[in-house]
Amino acid sequence: MTNSTFIYVTYIATTPEKLWEALTNSDFTEKYFFGTKIESDWRVGSKVTYSREGKVTDYGEILKYEPPKLLSFTWTYEGDKTEREEPTRVTFELKPMGETVKLTLKHENLVTTDIVEEDDTFEGFNNGWPAILSNLKTLLETNETLPPISL
Amino acid sequence: MTDSDFVYVIYIATTPEKLWQAITDGDFTEKYFFGRKVQSEWNEGSEVIYLRENDELDVYGKVLKSEPPHLLSFTWFHADEQPQREKPSRVTFEITPLGETVKLTLKHEDVAEGDIVEDNGTFFGLNNGWPAILSNLKSLLETGNTLPAVHV
Repeated sequence: MTNSTFIYVTYIATTPEKLWEALTNSDFTEKYFFGTKIESDWRVGSKVTYSREGKVTDYGEILKYEPPKLLSFTWTYEGDKTEREEPTRVTFELKPMGETVKLTLKHENLVTTDIVEEDDTFEGFNNGWPAILSNLKTLLETNETLPPISL
Repeated sequence: MTDSDFVYVIYIATTPEKLWQAITDGDFTEKYFFGRKVQSEWNEGSEVIYLRENDELDVYGKVLKSEPPHLLSFTWFHADEQPQREKPSRVTFEITPLGETVKLTLKHEDVAEGDIVEDNGTFFGLNNGWPAILSNLKSLLETGNTLPAVHV
């Protein structure tokens, strides 16, 4: 079983506080995160969920919560039947650089099937994250999300 | 493609034509690409050069594929690297329209050890440079402004 990490870095004209809110507030996530609402009471050890139309699509456990710099939680998607030794783990690192924020997303403990070769899909973390984070950047910089895409 | 080859995907609210221009026109690249001006005729076999703000040569190569406004591929040599490597790395821009959004896929392939830099507190290394450049390009096309933090 391979154990790989997907890393995606983006630079956004915003503040760490605004970016932190966009990552952790359901009114925001619903706009840029494939229509899902995030929920948690944001304590280490607490559950975090992403839901669409009331149904949980992804969930995990908070590992690190250090606003507005570091957020980390395990990640399991509902219905995942893959054999895993441990769940995957998502980490957001927010680094202020003057009036820009560098956002580093790391998705760790990935197995081979978590990465999808085909690029005409949003399946696979390597395909999903760039779309989500591009949408987040556009929302924070222009107050609108990207025009809708259907594949 | 080897494991260490670098791939970066970004979605931009623009048109394929505007994105192609931003990638291939030195007046644009100067704004978002760490001050580098790109110059080329952009035909297959054409020379490509990136000049620094003081007109020093930074990067050069040769166009492998040019299919505006969807596909551009060229070899990539760092002028400062001595001796010059036998097998250059290769940059490819794939521009895919998806409604009113454009998906840009950047691939930097045939990279050598040292092209990818572990330290993430720097713009050196393809893995550090490209996300900054392409984030800056996206901001420029969507807002008309570049990011203050992404500069030489």
